[in-house]
Order: sequence, then structure tokens, then C-alpha cells
Amino acid sequence: MARRHSSSSLFFTPLSSFLLPRGGDTLWYLLALLSIFSLLLHHLSLSASADSHFEGFDADDDESLDDDSSLHLTSIPLRTPPPPSVTLTSSDSESHHGPPNPSPKSPSDSSPPSDLHPKPSSTAFDYWDEDEFEGLPVVESETPKSTDSVSDSESDSDSKTKQEPEAVKAPRSLKNYVIEIVCGSFLIMFAINFFTGKKENERIALAWATKFATRDSIFDRNFSLLGVGEGNDSPLLLKEGQNVFRFYASGRRFCQGLMATMELKSRHDLISKLYNLVVPCKDEMTFEVYMNDEAMDCVVLALARKKAGKTMVKEVRDLQKFASLVSPPSGRKWVAEDLAVVSESKEVAGDLITEVVLEQVFGDKAFEKYGRGFISMHFSDQHSGAHKKMLVFKFALPDANHMDEMTRLVALVPYYIDLIGRYKLSSQARSKPEAARLKAAQEAYKELQNARQEALQKKKAEQRKLQEEAETKLSAEALRKKEAKERARQMKKAGPKVKMTRGH
Amino acid sequence: MSSHYNSSSSASNDPRQPSSAKPFVAPMVSPQDLPVDYSGFVAVICAVAGVMFRYKLGSWLALIFCAQSLANMKNMENDMKQISMAMMFAIMGLMTNYFGPARPGKQT
Repeated sequence: MARRHSSSSLFFTPLSSFLLPRGGDTLWYLLALLSIFSLLLHHLSLSASADSHFEGFDADDDESLDDDSSLHLTSIPLRTPPPPSVTLTSSDSESHHGPPNPSPKSPSDSSPPSDLHPKPSSTAFDYWDEDEFEGLPVVESETPKSTDSVSDSESDSDSKTKQEPEAVKAPRSLKNYVIEIVCGSFLIMFAINFFTGKKENERIALAWATKFATRDSIFDRNFSLLGVGEGNDSPLLLKEGQNVFRFYASGRRFCQGLMATMELKSRHDLISKLYNLVVPCKDEMTFEVYMNDEAMDCVVLALARKKAGKTMVKEVRDLQKFASLVSPPSGRKWVAEDLAVVSESKEVAGDLITEVVLEQVFGDKAFEKYGRGFISMHFSDQHSGAHKKMLVFKFALPDANHMDEMTRLVALVPYYIDLIGRYKLSSQARSKPEAARLKAAQEAYKELQNARQEALQKKKAEQRKLQEEAETKLSAEALRKKEAKERARQMKKAGPKVKMTRGH
Repeated sequence: MSSHYNSSSSASNDPRQPSSAKPFVAPMVSPQDLPVDYSGFVAVICAVAGVMFRYKLGSWLALIFCAQSLANMKNMENDMKQISMAMMFAIMGLMTNYFGPARPGKQT
């Protein structure tokens, strides 16, 4: 009981967070929980039935039965209906009531009745039954052999029954260890899969790095510092867990740095792998480019597939605040039909989605060919978080052997850094977004002020409360002191009197 | 596009600026923001259930989820507590199940 208590208190923090919905993981963990509980239930019912099974066998076993064949023969009708005359009585006895039992019992010895008793009870309470049997361990240990024999050898001769138990026992004991076998083999498979999956993930990450971040590759030509360590020979990738790899680059005009995060499938985790069979997911790569403050004008633009674009408008804060879906302009080429453009103004969208980009990646024809790995792209000068001016690209990683497919997508990154770094809104177009930002900033400021004021008020109220408490305490103490004084005075007054009376 | 990009970059000289390079700083993540270790949580539940009800499937499942939690571990110190607790409970459950005072039902 004490153990349960302590553990429950330990659960508390994870439990609260467990109840909070958190991405897609929640669903799958709920599923996992459900399946576990169903497994538990299934197993419980199985074990219960198995127990009763055993006990049922216990009921009409005993070597004594096998010892004299005459007894054995007579005991058969107890179990099986074959002789028609007994069938009626046995069918009654099946409904676990005492009365019909005596009639078949009478021919048999004293041992069957003692066995017969537990049978009905065993179906009802397992534990009670076991307790009752605790006193007879010797009998219990002998039972399995005979239990097996009973089912098979009822119609056979005695000699056969003695040989059969050994043969039947093997699968039965195997059955007893099903859990151990299944769980043990699963653990072994898990361990093997852990190492193979880990290797596979590392292979993909290294394939990406060798393709795009080694000497004379696209990142090497664009950034002066590559890798997550210090010095020239620093490692290119930082491994976080088994399926997250980070790549860092810095030292380029218009931006402070670039952080690329590869989130690969959990290949190392057999359970998630099984889950991914049901709900497939992709290897994703996110590029975050931290722009210099002065190098990025008021730009809010997002490009994604239609469905994702709509959810982005609803859920991403800066898009929600500043941007809306842009309808394709007439009279010029535009992005492929699958894509949705979310932007602050048509001008920004028109200027940033250039002919080159359309021709290379986002146009109708090119997108079919090269845009397969494209997930989304989001430029904003109003990102929430430490870096406000940020370009975010999200791509799906191709297979380790086909990294070339990604080349054009990766080339978007430096292209857009330059494009946005040089981009200046016309003064006419700037007034509107600037006004919107001012308004937003004011709102944020107001909110901050409100929050601060609220905090201040709360503090004040608390202080007041504390003061009051202290006062009440003080007053209580003063009262007590007063009383004590008074009592002392009275004592003093009373004292001499007593003394006097005593003295007398 | 890369070809186009190359021409433009060579035209407007090298985009690299070694002077402005900043070394990598690992992004700090507070322990509260870490993703919840569901498998560790499930492992603890299974392990405790396994110990309390003397239920071997529970203990075995706990071991499996411990393995998953270990496999997904990112931060040593943060996750170790829960996993080690679950592991201990799981092993305790198995020990009592297989080597502990045998119940008459288990003898067969």
C-alpha cells in the first residue's frame, strides 16, 4: 500500500502532461495504452480461464483413478455424456448444483467427491480455491500429468495413459511460457532493430552532409563556417537522440547563421516503426535562417501545399495576424496548382516568387519533377521566439541514395537569403505593413503593460494580505500579553491576600 | 536554379563573410519544454501493475517500454530517473514472479 502511494505521487507530474494534447504523439500513445490494456484484459481472462481449466482437471484427476481401472471406468460418466442414461444427470451436474451429483458419485470412491467440490467454486473464485489447495501441495504437483491424460486417454487403455503425459507435456509447458517467449524475442528484435535503425538514420544524415556540406558543395560555397564544433575540422552534424541531426552554418552576408535540423523517422525504435506502418511519416528537414535585422524588410510570406497552407494561416501566429491567402494574379505565371501562397500583400508575393523560382521549382512543370520533397517555406520578420527575422524551409528528405533530388530545393535557401536580403519594399507599399506592425507592437505593449499591472496588483494584494495577517497576529499577541499582564496583576493582587491568610 | 545561383554569386562576388561567422551555440531547452517521455510513463505503470498484481506480462511490457524509452533518450540526467525506476520495478516484478515465494498456482 505504501508503495502504491509513493509511486502515485511520482506519477503526478507526467500524468498532468500526459493529459495535455501534444501533437500527433498523443493519439498514438493513447492507442498504445488502449492496446496494452486490452492485452492485459485478454491475458487476465485467459489466465482466469486457464486456471479454471486446470482446476477443472484437478477435479477428476488423481493417480488413484489411474491405479484401478474399474474406478477409472466409472468415473468417466462424470465428465463425458456418452452413456445416455447418465447424460441426463451429468447435464444437470454441469449446471454446478449439488443435488444431481450424488447419483454418479455413489459408485466411485471417497476421493472423487472431495475433488468434485472445488469445481463449481473454481469458476467463481480462483484465489479462494488456491488457498484451499495450499494444504495439499503433493496432490497438486501430481495433477498435471493426469490432467493431460484425462482428455486423451478416456477411451484408451491404462498403459497408453502412462506414456502419453510426457508427450503432451512439452507443448503445454511451452504454452505456459508464451509471454516470456514473445516478450523475450520482441526485446531481442528491438535490440537488433535499434542498431540497424540507428545505422540507417546515420547513413541518411551522412549522405545529406556529404552531398551538400562537404568541400565545394553548395553550403561550402555560401557559408564560411560549417559544422557544430569549433575550428576548421569540426564535425558537420550534431546528433541529438537517435533520429535528430543538426547542421549549422554561419558567416554569410545578410544572415547570422543557418540551422538545419533533420528529423528522421524513428527507425531505431521498433514500436514507432510498427506504428509508422499504420500512419506513415517522412524524414523531414527544417532550415532556419536567422536574418540580420537590417537585411530584412517587412516581409511575411508562406508557401505550402494547399491544405497545409490553410492550416498555417489559422495556426501560425504571425501569418494569422498579418497575412492571408493570396489568389493567383492574372497575366503572369504562378505557382503550381497544389501550392497555396500566404502573404501580407500581393506585391510581396509577386516580388518574391520570381520567374526564376517558378521556372526552377514552383512552376507547374518543375514542381511535378523537383518539388516532391517540398513541404513548406515561411519567411517572416515577426516570428515568435528568440529570432524574429527568420526564413524557415521545410523539406522532406529523399532516400539516402537519391540525395540529388533535393538539390534544387536546397538551392532555394541561399537564393532566398540573397533575394530577401536585397529586397526593399517600395515606400508606398511599406506604409501599410508598417502600420500593421506598429499596431501589433502597440497591442503587444499594451498586453505587456496589462500583464505587468496585473502582476503589480497581485503583488500589492498579497502584501496587504501579509500585512493584515501580521497585524492580526500582532494584535493576538498583544491581547495575549495584555491578558498575561492582567493575570499577573490579579495574581499580585491575590497573592498577598493568600499569603496573609496563610500567614495567619 | 543552382546554376543560376552560381552565376549570380560569382558575378556579385563571394557571399561568404568569415568575419561575421558566429560559432555554433547549442539551443538551450529547459526541462519543462522537453517532449514528454510517454514510453517511460507507460513503463512505470506497467511495472507497478506487474509488481502489485504479480503479473508477469506487466513486468515484461514494462521492460519493453523501458527499452523504448532508453532508445529514445536524449538527455541523460533528465530521463534516467524515470527509466531507472521503471526498470527496477520491472525487474523486481519479474524476480518475485519467477524466484519469489511460489504460489501454488505457479508451481505447475
